[in-house]
Amino acid sequence: MAKGNNSDYKKMIDKHYKDLMKHCQSHMEQVEKTLPEPRENLHELLKERGITRRDFVKWTSAMTAALMLPPIFKPMVAKAAENFSRIPVVWLHFAECTGCTEALLRSSYPNVDDILLETISLEYHETLMAASGYQAKECLDKALRDFSGKFICVIEGAIPMGLDGKYLTIGPKGKTGLEIAKEVTSKAAATICIGSCSAFGGIQAANPNPTDAVSIKKAIGIPTVNIAGCPPNVVNFTGTLLHYIMFGGLPAQDGLGRPIWAYGKRIHDYCERRPHYDASEYVNEWGDAGALKGWCLYKVGCKGPYTYANCGRVRFNEGISWPIMAGHGCIGCTEPAFWDTMAPLEKPLPDKSFNNREATVDNIGIALTGITALGIAAHATATALRHKDEDQATKQEVKHHE
Amino acid sequence: MEKIISVKEWTLAIRLNHWAMALSIFILIVTGFYIATPFTITQGETVDKFFMGNVRFVHLLFGVFLVFLFIWRIYLAFFSRFHADWKDFLAFTNIKNFIHQIKFYLLITKEGPEYKTLYGPLQSLAYLGLLFMVFVICITGLILMGAGYHAGLTSVAYTILRPVENLLGGLATVRYIHHVFTWFFVLFIVVHIYMAFWYDFVLKKGTVSSMISGNVFKKVKE
Repeated sequence: MAKGNNSDYKKMIDKHYKDLMKHCQSHMEQVEKTLPEPRENLHELLKERGITRRDFVKWTSAMTAALMLPPIFKPMVAKAAENFSRIPVVWLHFAECTGCTEALLRSSYPNVDDILLETISLEYHETLMAASGYQAKECLDKALRDFSGKFICVIEGAIPMGLDGKYLTIGPKGKTGLEIAKEVTSKAAATICIGSCSAFGGIQAANPNPTDAVSIKKAIGIPTVNIAGCPPNVVNFTGTLLHYIMFGGLPAQDGLGRPIWAYGKRIHDYCERRPHYDASEYVNEWGDAGALKGWCLYKVGCKGPYTYANCGRVRFNEGISWPIMAGHGCIGCTEPAFWDTMAPLEKPLPDKSFNNREATVDNIGIALTGITALGIAAHATATALRHKDEDQATKQEVKHHE
Repeated sequence: MEKIISVKEWTLAIRLNHWAMALSIFILIVTGFYIATPFTITQGETVDKFFMGNVRFVHLLFGVFLVFLFIWRIYLAFFSRFHADWKDFLAFTNIKNFIHQIKFYLLITKEGPEYKTLYGPLQSLAYLGLLFMVFVICITGLILMGAGYHAGLTSVAYTILRPVENLLGGLATVRYIHHVFTWFFVLFIVVHIYMAFWYDFVLKKGTVSSMISGNVFKKVKE
């Protein structure tokens, strides 16, 4: 759009947002009509937990901005939060450490995000549910029957494909993870993969990957929204769910299925230590003078330049801190196969060694250049000897001409 | 009676392209190694310093320069008005000449093979390899550049190349390939400069100066 047509551009944007607003409003009405009543009254719950109305409004502003929506959507975000517990959720665990659940549900000072996740209408969650064995299986079957095509399937963990998937069997009937995942996702309205394991395979898919673990997308071949991270930020998960409640669809994603609003820019682009990078001020080893001054962690292996995530903007634990702020480089946990591609985690990328040996690409490069130089010296000497007579012939010719 | 005449071998465009690429690649290797393993500047205030920023600016400037030089070289190979040399890059397919050339380089024979193409059989393979190296380093470089800059042609290139990034396995792998290929350039330059001087010494055709003057010397019988 040309700069001269600024008003046209503004009109276009206004119209776009007005349409979006209309869509949002009609969808919310639909939600209120069709989905079950909210399980809990959010405002009472917030009051109980000592979160004031003012805090809640502040949270809606932050969330609206995080979702890259203009301020007119603030009331809609608040409304979506009130309706948050209407959406039935089935939460599946596969090959993983349950760290994502821990990170999302446990915090010392629960903020609105955490409380929202507590209100979530969890029809099935292996870690949190009281039922076990056959009862648990019944819970899952009931959820699938009651909310077929309406619930959101959240998956935590990769699926081992080796031995026909028998590295992972769950429940009283010993079903494999692959079978459960296929059965549940086929009835879900949408599938959200939480954590790098379900999104990209994670640690069990790292080299040598003994169980042949793969991501949900690769295992079943369905489109998934990947909330990558190890663990991911709670804001990225609640934001995606809020987006789903508000617009009835999942947010725009990049080529790897990560929501662009959260994973559209690199850690490096928004890093608070970035000015030190550009100023050539680096921490050379842990605890040196640069580390005390908060300089750039590039040389102690920060992988921020290769990692798409919004950690620096939203931070963790109610915005208290995040890894780079705490003094350790990014390990690139939102990227596919990061255990392999980002290794070594505390050294710059070129210091990766081959086949578990010591040599890095720079060692090999220097050695090869040295060998080449020696070869050249030898070849030059041999050439001088071999083509000696021609050289003398030329000299004689020159003399002859003189 | 033998006479030595001067014969045109390299067009002006090829020579300009060669030296512009040589300069760009040299600057890119130096700045690239700084970006890979930077030294810390401890003196002075942070606000007064922008050394890495400046080095990266030079690196990106000559990197984009190299992209356009590469496109120009490919254009010349197919559409040059004087000598479109794309067929000459396939000189290595002549197996007989190929083996003869190796013998010549290993000093087993004193005379090299006769060929009418612009490049010898091994040369053609080396230069095809060089073009491939330039291609890979440009693609990976554009991905790394596009990851940080979101405007203009860079963003257009990045939008196109993002699937390549995902295919290679993320920016970290792209960055690693970029680093490994830098070493290939270092090795190429060492061998390339030696071979140019070696040709000059053995064949006495003025190979080194031909990339400046455009002409080589030939003996002809009157």
